[in-house]
Amino acid sequence: MSQSLRPYLSCVRSTLTAALSLSNFASQASERHNVPEIEARTSPELILNPLTVSRNQEERVLIEPSVNSVRVSIRIKQADEIENILVHKFTRFLTQRAEPFFILRRKPIDGYDISFLITNFHTEEMLKHKLVDFIIQFMEDVDKEISEMKLFLNARARFVAESFLTPFD
Amino acid sequence: MASPEVHHLFHAPIADHSFSADRNTLAVTRANNVELYGKQGSQFRLQDELRGHDKLVTGVDIAPQSGRIVTCSQDRNAYVWEPSSTGEWKPTLVLLRINRAATCVRWCPNESKFAVGSGARIIAICYFEEENDWWVSKHLKKPLRSTVTSVTWHPNSVLLAAGSTDGHARVFSSFIKGADARPEPSAWGERLPFNTVCGEYLNGSAGWVHSVAFSPSGNALAFAAHDSSLTVVYPSAPEQPPSAVISISTQQLPFADLLWISESEIVCAGYDCEAFRFSGNEGGWQLTGSVEKANGGGKQGGQEHEESARNMFRAMDLRGRTGGNENTKLPTVHQNSINKIRAYAEAGGQVQKVSTAGVDGRVVVWNL
Amino acid sequence: MAEFNWRTLNIDALDPESSYNFDLATLTPAVQPVSTQDVQTLSGQIKQLMRAGQSEEALKGALENPPYGADEQGKNIHLSTVTEILQSIRQSEMTPILQRIYQSEGGSEVCDTLMKYIYKGMGQGGPAAAHSAGKNVTPQQTGFTQAGGRSFGGAEGGGQAMSVLLSWHEKLVEISGPGSIVRAMSDRRTV
Repeated sequence: MSQSLRPYLSCVRSTLTAALSLSNFASQASERHNVPEIEARTSPELILNPLTVSRNQEERVLIEPSVNSVRVSIRIKQADEIENILVHKFTRFLTQRAEPFFILRRKPIDGYDISFLITNFHTEEMLKHKLVDFIIQFMEDVDKEISEMKLFLNARARFVAESFLTPFD
Repeated sequence: MASPEVHHLFHAPIADHSFSADRNTLAVTRANNVELYGKQGSQFRLQDELRGHDKLVTGVDIAPQSGRIVTCSQDRNAYVWEPSSTGEWKPTLVLLRINRAATCVRWCPNESKFAVGSGARIIAICYFEEENDWWVSKHLKKPLRSTVTSVTWHPNSVLLAAGSTDGHARVFSSFIKGADARPEPSAWGERLPFNTVCGEYLNGSAGWVHSVAFSPSGNALAFAAHDSSLTVVYPSAPEQPPSAVISISTQQLPFADLLWISESEIVCAGYDCEAFRFSGNEGGWQLTGSVEKANGGGKQGGQEHEESARNMFRAMDLRGRTGGNENTKLPTVHQNSINKIRAYAEAGGQVQKVSTAGVDGRVVVWNL
Repeated sequence: MAEFNWRTLNIDALDPESSYNFDLATLTPAVQPVSTQDVQTLSGQIKQLMRAGQSEEALKGALENPPYGADEQGKNIHLSTVTEILQSIRQSEMTPILQRIYQSEGGSEVCDTLMKYIYKGMGQGGPAAAHSAGKNVTPQQTGFTQAGGRSFGGAEGGGQAMSVLLSWHEKLVEISGPGSIVRAMSDRRTV
C-alpha cells in the first residue's frame, strides 16, 4: 500500500461518518412524498455544502450531503487506457446489478466512475459504521481488482499473440 | 452508580416515545402505528396498538394528567386518542389543515392545547371546541421559511418555541382568546396576541435546528442544531436584544434532541448514539461529560476480542482505521442515533432520570 | 419561442413562495461584502509574516479573517494564501500548532475555518476542470465517452499538494473532532 492511501481513506471515513447524520424527512415540496433531497433538489436549505476528498488529480471522492440522503461519488484511479476500459466495464457490470447492492446508484455523477446513494432508510436498517466500512473496502478493493485484471489481460494478450504467431514459425 | 435500564423493543426506528405520568405505560412510534407497552416487573410488554395513520408516525405525546394521547404522522394528520368505556382507544381526527407532513407534536403544560409542527411551514395550535365537539387548529405561519422540526412549550402554556430547518429557533405566542388566561408578562413579552414573534435566533453557522427547549423557569431557551452546536439564549426584556446568547460548537456529531435537567444543566443526545451533559449559566456553558460513562458504560470495551498486531496494522493500512476491531457492535448502549430524550423522574426541580429512544428500537432509562 | 419545451419548465422556480426559492442569504446575515483589493492587501501582509518565519501567526491571521463576502476571485486568492502557509509548515509541527490554536480564544472557529479551506483545497482542479481541458485535445477516439476527459500519465499530478492537505485533515480531526467536518458541511459561509 502506498504511503498516501492511509490518510486518504481515513479522510474519506471521517467525512462520510459526519455526512451520514440523516433523519427521516418528508418532502416539503410534494404532498405525502418522502424522497432523497440530494436527488430531488427541491429546497436549497436542505442540501449541505458538497465536500471533495482527493488523493491526486485522478483519484477523488465527492460527498454530497443533505437532510435525508448522501451521495458518494468515486473517481477510480486509471493510469492508462487499458485501465480506463477496465474501470468502465467493471462499473457498468456493477451498476447494472444495482438492486442487490442497495446503496449503489444506477448512474454515476458526471466526472466520476461510480456513485452511491445512501438514504436515511439505509442508515436505519444497516449499521452506519458498517456502511462506511463498505465504501472504504470498495475503494481499496476496486484498485486491486483493476490492477489484477490488467495483469491478467496482459498475460492473456501475450499468450494469444504467441499462439497466433506459432504457425508462422 | 446503577447501570441504565435498557428496553430493546423491536428492530425499527423509534421517532418519538412518551411515558404516562405513573411511568407504567410507554407509547412508542413504530412505522405507521403507535404501540403501547405496559410495565410488568422490570420489562415492558406490548399491550395495545393505535392504528389509524397510513404513513410514518413522527410524534406521540401522552398528557400527564388527562392521559390523552396525541399522535401525528407524515400523512398530514393528527389524532387524539382517548380510552373508551370498553377499554379500547378511540381516535378523534384533528383538523390540522396542513398539506405536508406533520413532524412533531407536544401537549402544552395545562393540557388544553397542543402544537403540531409541519413541513408546510406551519405550526398548528390545536384546541378543543366544545360547541362543535372536535379539535380545531389555528396556524402560526410567519416567519417560518422551512420545515418545523420541533416544538416546545413555555411553562405558562402560551409561549411556544419552534426550531426549523431554516436555521432559526423562534418563540411565538399561541394565545387563543377565550381558551387561555392572560399570561403574566415575562422577559419574552408583555402583550401577546396570537402569532406574536417574541424572538428569532440564529447561530453563526446556521445549521438546521433539531431541537428547542425552554429552561424549567421558562427564562432561557436552548436549541441544538445540525452544526453540532448547542445555543442558549437569555432574553433581557420584550423587544430588546437578548442579554446573552451563548453558542458552543462541540467536537461531537450533531445533537438531535436536548433536555433541561435543571436551570443550569442540559442533556443532549443525537448522532453520536450517546447522551452528553452540559452545564453553565449566563456567563457561559461547557460540555461536562458523557452520561454513558457516568452510568458505568464502556464496559463492553473490555469484551473486545484480542487481535494480533498484524491485523491491527493491516486494518490501519488498508482501511485507514486505528481501532482495528471487526466488531459490529458499537461501544455505546444505543446502536444507532438517538432521536428523542425525555425526562423520566424528577425531584425538587432537578431531573434525576432521563429516557432516550433511538433508531435502533431501544428505549433506555439513564440515571443522572 | 415556438420550440420552447414547456414540459421541462420548472414551475416551482416561478413561485416566490415555493420551497424551491428559499433565500440562502437569510442564513448568513452577518456576511459583509469584501473587495478583491482588500483580500489582496491582507494576503500580502500574511505572506510577509510567513516570509519572516512566523508561520503560526500567518496561519492564524489568515484563518481569523476569511473573506466570506468576497467574490470567487477574492476567495481563490485567499485559498492560495492559506494553502501556501499550510505547505510551508513541517509535518511534525502540525499537531502542536493546531493544539495551540484550538486552545486559544475562539480557537474552535479558527479550526472550522481551516477545515473549510482543506476541503476547498482538495476540491480544486476537479474533474470538471480536467474535463473541459481534455475535450479540446483528445488525441484518439477510443469509443468510450469517459476516455475523453482523462489525462493519462499525469495521474499523480497534484498528489504532493493533496497529501499535505490530507495530513492536515487527519491532524485536525484528531483535535476538533467530527463536529468541525459537520460544520464545514452545514455552514453557508463558504470560503
